Amino acid sequence: MAVTIRRLEESDEVEGFDCGDEPLNNYLKRHAWTNQQKVSIGVTYAAVDESAPRTVLGYFTLATSSVPRDQFPQKYVRGLPPYDLPLILLARLAVDKRFSGRGLGHAMIAEALKITLRVADEVGCRCIITDAYPDKAGWYARYGFLPLEGTAATSPQKMFLDVRTIRRALSSESSSAERK
Amino acid sequence: MPPAVKSKKAVALPAKVPTARKSKFQADLAPSEDSMVRILKAELQMTSNTDFLTDALALFRWAVSERKRGHRIVSESSTGERKILLFPRLERVAPEVTLPHVDIRWTDKELESLAELASGQPADPTDALIRAMRQ
Repeated sequence: MAVTIRRLEESDEVEGFDCGDEPLNNYLKRHAWTNQQKVSIGVTYAAVDESAPRTVLGYFTLATSSVPRDQFPQKYVRGLPPYDLPLILLARLAVDKRFSGRGLGHAMIAEALKITLRVADEVGCRCIITDAYPDKAGWYARYGFLPLEGTAATSPQKMFLDVRTIRRALSSESSSAERK
Repeated sequence: MPPAVKSKKAVALPAKVPTARKSKFQADLAPSEDSMVRILKAELQMTSNTDFLTDALALFRWAVSERKRGHRIVSESSTGERKILLFPRLERVAPEVTLPHVDIRWTDKELESLAELASGQPADPTDALIRAMRQ
């Protein structure tokens, strides 16, 4: 498989997509394109294989957000920059179950984190937040996402990854490459 | 009377213009790739590897610059059938359109937890994260 990850396109085949979760299937089939092109509330990236470059095998959706500084508890405000906190929301990430276990999830999270770094370089962003299903929280934790406390039991688990940690990963990658 | 031994006149030579050093390029090719290079050179009527590499570089450079500008590279057949070039490395240079902005609903406790993490020292990257960034 030669997988490419790029922005979702209108002519992409999404009807056959099945990750085993109906809300995630439905988002891709009914809302992803509209949200990206018409109402601009999220950009969806599709993983496709070279042999069938229109068939979506997996996807993730990103958006930016920010938290107004005055919403933070007073005792933490001093440690934060004197501005609203800009962040990236990894809103969804799903792999078609017929292609699970082939490293697509890893490839997509890697791409999402690289986009996060590029956005951080271009317009600034402090962290990436994801809403993880409770049974997937462990998978995100492997990449260093930390659970936020206070998520309602019925809601997805909000998880946090600092952009500085991603940068460190990139620099450890560079230094290990230089040593080789 | 002229001297028996001609003395050489001192001639001011022009200062040597430094020439850019040419780099050597060596690649280990699999037999199939080597054969592909030979076939392409024959098709393009090229004799030297240098010419081959120079043209390949020009083509690659053009593709990178087009993708950097957000342009897609498309081939169109005589019947109008279009194919878009998808080349993973080229996708890396494509510009990201600014991501849209959304509002997130936070509980007070989540905001406190977020503030605590964001104002603290960043965690060390995990092995999986390092591997992801290496891809």
